[in-house]
Amino acid sequence: MFDSIFSFLFKYRPAVFAHGRLGFEPPIPPVVLVVGVTILLAGVLVTYRSTRGRIGRRYFFTLTGLRTALLALLLLALLRPVVVVSTVIPQENILAIVLDDSKSMQLADQGDAPRSSLVSRTFSSEEAGLLHDLSERFTLRFFRFGTDVARHDRAQPLRFGETRTNLGAALAGVRRELTGVPLAGVVVVTDGADNVADNLAESVLRYQSDGVPIYTVGVGREVLPRDIELSRVEAPHQVLKGSSVMVDVMLTQSGFRGERVTLNVEDGGRIVNSQEVRLAGDREATVVRVKLTAAEAGARLFRFHVPPQPGELISENNARDVMISVEDRREKILYFEGEPRFEVKFIRRALEDDQNIQVVTLQRTAENKYLRLGVDDPDELVAGFPATREELFAYRGIILGSVEASYFTHSQLVLLEEFVGQRGGGLLVLGGRRAFGEGGYAGTPLEAVLPVVLPRTADAEFFSEVAVGPTPAGLVHPVTRLADDGTQSRERWTGLPRVSLLNPISQSKPGASTLLTGRSDASSESYVVLAFQRYGKGKAIAFTPQDSWLWQMHADVPLDDMTHETFWRQMLRWLVSNVTDLVTVATPTEQVEPGETITITADVRDSSYLGVNGAKVTASVTDALGTETDYPMEWTVTEDGVYRTSLPTELAGRYDVRVLARRGDAVLGEGHAALRAEPQPTEFFSPAMRADLLKDVAAQTGGRFYTEATLGGLAEDVRYTESGMTRLESHDLWDSPVLFLALLAIVSLEWLLRRRRGLA
Amino acid sequence: MLQRLAPSPIRILVLRGRAMVALLSIWTVSSGVAQTGGGSPDDPAAIDRHTRGRAFYFTRAVYTDVERRGRFGWWSVDYPKADRQFLMGLTRLTGIDAHHSENPVRLDDPELRRYPLVYAVEVGHMALTEAERTGLRNYLLAGGILLVDDFWGSWEWANFQSEMAQVLPGYPIVDLPADHPLLHVFYDLAEIVQVPNVGLGRAGGRTWEKDGYTPALRGIFDGHGRLLVVINWNSDLGDAWEWAEDPSYPIRFSNFAYQLGVNVIVYAMSH
Repeated sequence: MFDSIFSFLFKYRPAVFAHGRLGFEPPIPPVVLVVGVTILLAGVLVTYRSTRGRIGRRYFFTLTGLRTALLALLLLALLRPVVVVSTVIPQENILAIVLDDSKSMQLADQGDAPRSSLVSRTFSSEEAGLLHDLSERFTLRFFRFGTDVARHDRAQPLRFGETRTNLGAALAGVRRELTGVPLAGVVVVTDGADNVADNLAESVLRYQSDGVPIYTVGVGREVLPRDIELSRVEAPHQVLKGSSVMVDVMLTQSGFRGERVTLNVEDGGRIVNSQEVRLAGDREATVVRVKLTAAEAGARLFRFHVPPQPGELISENNARDVMISVEDRREKILYFEGEPRFEVKFIRRALEDDQNIQVVTLQRTAENKYLRLGVDDPDELVAGFPATREELFAYRGIILGSVEASYFTHSQLVLLEEFVGQRGGGLLVLGGRRAFGEGGYAGTPLEAVLPVVLPRTADAEFFSEVAVGPTPAGLVHPVTRLADDGTQSRERWTGLPRVSLLNPISQSKPGASTLLTGRSDASSESYVVLAFQRYGKGKAIAFTPQDSWLWQMHADVPLDDMTHETFWRQMLRWLVSNVTDLVTVATPTEQVEPGETITITADVRDSSYLGVNGAKVTASVTDALGTETDYPMEWTVTEDGVYRTSLPTELAGRYDVRVLARRGDAVLGEGHAALRAEPQPTEFFSPAMRADLLKDVAAQTGGRFYTEATLGGLAEDVRYTESGMTRLESHDLWDSPVLFLALLAIVSLEWLLRRRRGLA
Repeated sequence: MLQRLAPSPIRILVLRGRAMVALLSIWTVSSGVAQTGGGSPDDPAAIDRHTRGRAFYFTRAVYTDVERRGRFGWWSVDYPKADRQFLMGLTRLTGIDAHHSENPVRLDDPELRRYPLVYAVEVGHMALTEAERTGLRNYLLAGGILLVDDFWGSWEWANFQSEMAQVLPGYPIVDLPADHPLLHVFYDLAEIVQVPNVGLGRAGGRTWEKDGYTPALRGIFDGHGRLLVVINWNSDLGDAWEWAEDPSYPIRFSNFAYQLGVNVIVYAMSH
């Protein structure tokens, strides 16, 4: 409607002014015109001046102002205003028509007709309608796109069966196809539900730099009437057997505001968790935290789903599958304690029943005297704390107790820093009289690793008893979550006995997360109790109390209370989670469409965790039928220790990948991954028409966005562009209705005022 | 049938000496909070790094005995000199951050749970109240370790055994094997030495009392194999600590007493 009104008033569509520039083409020299109008204006002033006594000062200025405006408009018209715009030369340019051929075009979200009906009606025949108008000026080239883009033969109907919408690849493909030809523009007809949005910006930028406009035609509704969607499921990729896994499930909906639905979780077809969820407002996300127990080893497929609700338009987006690799292995942690203290006893006690965690303890019991516990062989740690990469990096986690920094050589401190940053291990530093600043760690290589700020001066006499409580982050973190319910978890924390601090740490680093804080009753000060940060490939954790064993021993703690054990098990399991192996296998996604080819990447390290180049790396893949095939992996050359291969997934089902790395006869290591090739309803996730995206693409390239209602103006708008074979056209504006209406309005108003004052 | 021997003159002297120590302990214990490293200070301002912040407090169990002697009770034998002398040796020999002073705590005091190792002497004279039994039981099951010392002969054994059967019913008492980690965790102890009281030690003759001819190191374990109680029967570590500086008391006994004591503590802090 806006376009219609605009065209009526200004003679031309908005696109003319958007792409053109205003100018003047006066038939006679402008100086003559200006002088003439000035003389007329002087005459007006003289005329009205004689009537000033009769009409008053206010009317005098109003009438002279109106007459002046009238003369100015006349001058404007006499100067012959024009809009100069670049216009395509008919039949000298190509216009690409790119049609969305994906499954989301089958949705019937506007009545009974599917989205694809617009394509069928409007873009199938050149004998009439939009295509006819376009074909008179352009040579049309048709493309269809989904996962990729291809030329479209209009003799063959579109099937609207593509499983992905890759708009970026489509635009890039069209540009490549039409390189070297005069391309006036690209018309894209789509719902904009781009679900492979990793290269769209780059493609759009290319069009922008080439000056080729993209005209987007949006199909479908921006908001679906009634739909619930499992937008995202965030779960750890790998956990130890027996771990409690916290999974975040995000639900979005429209039309079900405030209603309650059930979220079910299945493991191998068996429901393992079920929760009632109250949905938030329309298009607002509801995040649900689900707790699972990784009871069985292997690659476990968990299905999260909400049963279809009455009146729901799409049910395919009510479920998501997530694969979690449950590892049944013993993760080795080195706990180095600088002095005998009860924390050692109770941490070991808390973990003694955990079959997946091995705590090797090196305890300094006196000067140059050590106690080794939990070692694998008599020679392990016989020389004290490890001094080489091979020895230290054999562990997946390190716990440092109350041991002063001066105990270590500088090389060992650097080694600890590299253990976290390069090897990707987990470092946990406990509080004590010889820890943190009091242990002299300020100014050492470990200071950068720690997630807390060390005071510049040590305080050997510092002591504070604190009541520990979780931060908002701590309420939901897998380490500090003590109950399924956040409120219950907080109550358990606040019910624990006080613990004591010997290190005055009150600040975490900006990039760190604080999970627990402690408040002193004596001073009302607040201290950091538990904080962590990612450092390089690994993570560093600071736990400042020196006597968490009180959470087990204290008289206020019931004998059957498992808080202390739960906390330490969760802590140490998390410490070694996501720690890199000697061979780490990764795929871009764990789920593909059958027939897709997926890239497998292996990161191969030696015992020092340095990348190994030139190794013989093979991926043995077992498909759903049990057939094992070997795929040699090639070194990427650009990255140390990184190897790749491509895996075609012809069969549907599960693929188990085992990567073996060798150097000569020696086996460097082995890694595993699993993925599934199954038809995925990707097209039904976020299928609403993304008007904002399409508008943005058009705006960035100088095009325009259309819906079915405004599509009529496309043929005219496409003419005005600087892309392709064009010429400049000058269009008169002096005869625009808006100018005439303005003149008429001024004259009418002046006549009315003159009549009121008796001058007419 | 075992005969109970009449006390020898030396024993009488020893007992009188102990009584003097007990009298001394009245003053010491009644001074209470100011001297101890633990207990339950009435004044919150007294809670500091030394009263609560050290890694180890040598805690002595205060219990009810058969004579109901309270402050002068059997629990206070060798107290506090033995405690202090032992602590001096402990801090010199190890890296333990130990409070330098004694720490007596009643078995029915909830504060006992702040000290995961507790030492008790003359346990052959124990006559625990129900509250003390409950307190000790909960303490052990929560993770504490009890070291008992200086009780001799079959009669005292029977009494102790009876008391422990009420504290931990169904938990058997077993001998600690020679390869048990407790005997090798700091010092390698190849044999269990019978440590005599100060009188017998100075005399240089027999080392046994009553019919306690053979020393034994025994223990009570829970179902997970965790050591709950360390039992030093027919031996007297306390006297050896207390009189370690006495040149007439054989140094080999004090050496063993310190070694075993250190081993128990290092073990208790790591296992």
